[in-house]
Amino acid sequence: MSVLGIIATAGRLISAEEHVVTDADGYVTTHSWILPETAEIIWGGLASLIIFWALFKFGGPAIKKSMAARTERIQKELDAAAADTASAATEAAQIRQAKGDIEGERARLLADAKAQAASVIEDGRARLAVEVADLEAKAVVDIASAQGRVGDELRAEIARLSSAAVDHVVTGSLDDATHQELIENFITRVGAGS
Amino acid sequence: MSDNRIEGYARGLFEIARAEGTLDVVENELYRFARSFEGSDALRSALTDEQIPPAKRQAIVEDLLGGKASATTTQLIAMVVGSGRGRDLPAIIDNLVARASSVKHQEVAEVRTAIALTDDQQARLGAALVKATGKQVNLKVVVDPSVLGGIVATVGDTVIDGSVRTRIDQLKSRL
Repeated sequence: MSVLGIIATAGRLISAEEHVVTDADGYVTTHSWILPETAEIIWGGLASLIIFWALFKFGGPAIKKSMAARTERIQKELDAAAADTASAATEAAQIRQAKGDIEGERARLLADAKAQAASVIEDGRARLAVEVADLEAKAVVDIASAQGRVGDELRAEIARLSSAAVDHVVTGSLDDATHQELIENFITRVGAGS
Repeated sequence: MSDNRIEGYARGLFEIARAEGTLDVVENELYRFARSFEGSDALRSALTDEQIPPAKRQAIVEDLLGGKASATTTQLIAMVVGSGRGRDLPAIIDNLVARASSVKHQEVAEVRTAIALTDDQQARLGAALVKATGKQVNLKVVVDPSVLGGIVATVGDTVIDGSVRTRIDQLKSRL
């Protein structure tokens, strides 16, 4: 029990002593067991006021400070929670953005790869077309050259054989009569050509 | 050999032949010998080889021409060969022939044939060449089998070619 409680109980006991009345018949009459005595109310009221004042005077600031600190702590926790929530939201947004960027990058890389592949295929086709055209042209030239070479060789061979045949035939056919005829023809032609 | 030396030898041979009174004969024989000399590697080697003594080279000439040419011709060729001028023999003889022709107011007409010409053919050919060129000609006939047939006549810078060899060459060229 606190000091104030002891004071109040003491006041009440004193007040009770005063209101015990014994009548002539010996009957004892006491104050109402429900309502306190007036003095008790007064002393109790005073004590209560003193207690409340003391509580207000000495305990109020501490309670107030404690409540303020608690409020501040709760506010800080709320702020931290809000900050965490905002951070989480920001992070979630960043993750979503990163995910979106990754999707975009993937799409861009795929598009680049497709474009490069198409370019490589197109270049390859063009190069192959050029090479095929070159090979065809070279083949045509080679064929023409081979035809010309074979033709030349054939003509040379024919000429060689013809020359040999001409020498053989002419030499074999030059008898004395032919020699004389050639000489006479020459003399006649020179004499007539003056 | 320098031109002066060739001309000197030619003049000497010419004067000797003329002094002997056999210029025409010697000229013709020398000319035919010169052509034979040009056409025969063996003869050319034998008469120009410095390792063979001059006396032996002259003996070769005398053996070769003895009975086939006049003594003057044989001695003139032997002299040139013996003096170590065999290599210049064709040039010396050509100069001599040109000199002789000049004296006679003629121009040398070299005629190459595959077979020998008769005297009549030579006369008619000479007349035909005179008619064709307008010059008096000193006809020199050379038998050259490479002609094959017909005649090649050269008068100065003019060449009249009626040889079978040339016709065959033209035919081969066309082929």
